[in-house]
Amino acid sequence: MNTTTPAVQVRQLCKNYGSVQALKGVDLSIAAGEYFVLLGPSGGGKTTLLRTIGGFHKPSSGQVWLNGQEVSHLPPDKRPTSMVFQAYALFPHMTVLGNVGYGLSLAKLPKAEVRDKSMAMLEMVGLSGYENRRPHELSGGQQQRVQLARALVLGRNILLLDEPLAALDAQLRKDMCLELKHLQEKVGITFIHVTHNQEEAMTVADRIALIADGELVEQGAARDIYRTPQRRFTASFVGENNLLSGNVTAVEGDTVTVEVCGQPLAVDRRDLPVRAGETVALSIRSELVEMVSADGTAAADGCSLSGTYAESVYLGLTLSHRAALADGTEIVSRVVGESDAPDPAPGTAIRVQWKPGALRLHVN
Amino acid sequence: MTDATDTGLGGLPPVEPFRPTLRERMSGWAFYIPIVFMVLFFALPMALTVVFSVFERTMFWMEPGFSLLAYENFFFSARLENFLASMGYSLISVAVSFCLGFPIAVFVRKSVPQAAQHRVVLLFILPFMVSEIIRIFALRPVLQRNGLVNETLLNLGLIDEPITALLYTHTGVIIGEVLSFMPFIVFSGFLAMEAVPKYIFEVCDDLGAGPVRRFVDVILPLAAPGIFAGAVFIFVNGLGVALIPNIMGGPGAVNAGLIATQAITALDFPLAMAVSAIMMATLMGLLYVGHKLFDLTKILAPMN
Repeated sequence: MNTTTPAVQVRQLCKNYGSVQALKGVDLSIAAGEYFVLLGPSGGGKTTLLRTIGGFHKPSSGQVWLNGQEVSHLPPDKRPTSMVFQAYALFPHMTVLGNVGYGLSLAKLPKAEVRDKSMAMLEMVGLSGYENRRPHELSGGQQQRVQLARALVLGRNILLLDEPLAALDAQLRKDMCLELKHLQEKVGITFIHVTHNQEEAMTVADRIALIADGELVEQGAARDIYRTPQRRFTASFVGENNLLSGNVTAVEGDTVTVEVCGQPLAVDRRDLPVRAGETVALSIRSELVEMVSADGTAAADGCSLSGTYAESVYLGLTLSHRAALADGTEIVSRVVGESDAPDPAPGTAIRVQWKPGALRLHVN
Repeated sequence: MTDATDTGLGGLPPVEPFRPTLRERMSGWAFYIPIVFMVLFFALPMALTVVFSVFERTMFWMEPGFSLLAYENFFFSARLENFLASMGYSLISVAVSFCLGFPIAVFVRKSVPQAAQHRVVLLFILPFMVSEIIRIFALRPVLQRNGLVNETLLNLGLIDEPITALLYTHTGVIIGEVLSFMPFIVFSGFLAMEAVPKYIFEVCDDLGAGPVRRFVDVILPLAAPGIFAGAVFIFVNGLGVALIPNIMGGPGAVNAGLIATQAITALDFPLAMAVSAIMMATLMGLLYVGHKLFDLTKILAPMN
């Protein structure tokens, strides 16, 4: 395959259900061999996008190109995609081997070949010795592996995974995430994985696209999405960001001054089109926020806010201190590690501060 | 004990074993009522049917004894032929009902929105609100020589002579049976399709299973027990309900039920009993074969 051709290209894709717009003109390009994750809240359109790529939904308008071919008119089995479904979507009356081999036997391959290929694929997903079991004799994780084998054995080069781990418990989901990642590296084909779980997304993804409200909000590597969210929605959905809103009072070169609760904050402009007097959103990750006593050492200019302490929440690895600004906006400071220092009393005046550059500006 | 009192549980009475109330103890027995009912009003009469079938025939009733005359009367007469023929025609009714009814069940499960599915199936109950005798009798003006069907076909110029095979024949009986019993295959098919999860259709789309392979490889095996239940119901009724051949049938177009009814009319009670016993034995035999083939327990224990 020509590696310069993207595996998936979606152009101006729209999907309407009656008056509801599930997809509003999505453009997307996924390189061959990439592990791509569609991340977003439920009902945001990510599953609709995946199913339209797979051919289970007809787009209302727009095009789907797979491996450089326009496929919008093709049914699922004529596309170079295969699907792993959310539910344990196995044939309940067939054995594991029967499930995996069914697609190949439909393609009229010789029986011996069907068997060999299916067994090899079962070994690949770690289910050797389970070939004669029935689906109801398997655990949830094992059933999803059978689905993986059933999809991969077809030899199509784009694998679609529709919330494949949603029905598994938390620990199993973590293990399966890594396995999926390693499996993708081993087989080298394109994986497109839909999930609403950001930890799952960040574990497996080469690149993540955030889908919400029928639109592609932002895409990029997991690190970039987490550290430098471009859009306010990304900041609110990924990680644990504090969101503030304020008025722009001055724009000087690359620095924008935003007034939040009467206190000026300095933030990098990032070439965004912003004018004085505008209302903008600011975000800062909670682990970058430090809480100090109100009369402590002065922080860098424009990098602190005063507020009142509310409470602390102990989460094991991290401890979250919650405080409120003058207008009631909640701000969270998350610290790692054990500290035996007593928390301030609720209502104590405190300051939250951060390093210059930690705060991010978002305009609509 | 004293320790417990010391740690703050003082004053509480000792823990006593749980004693069920009278009502709770009685409720266990309530589950045996259906068994008593079934034995009294089903198993016992069935056994008596076999016993009576070997009694001696008298003028108006029968008297205890042992005679195989009734069986001889059945096996060495046209009755056996008619009985076997009615089994064949019952099978045709089952097949026609299945071909018409099961696609409806699949369609309702697959294409009708979840919320409306049960309402659509309820539509098939509507005909049952009209007495069966009226429903069947109403077919006569439709199917008879100068009935609706023949008149229409004649007027359209599709036929030159009225089709007389539609009534007072095996065809008539089959039409009557399909009309009466098809809803059962819709119901049982609809319930059987519950064992066929909706995702199966998408998986088949993905793997490239066309409609025929999908039906043979996936839907049929999964829905088989339910389909079998519906088929048995129709077959048994096709064999046993005397009303339909009585109204729609004619010479030779009878079933086991009508043979027994005719024997009763002729006051030959042992023969009527023998026909019933033979029908029962036949059906139980078929059910056993069906169970061996399809494992009917599956319908009670859906797969997951």
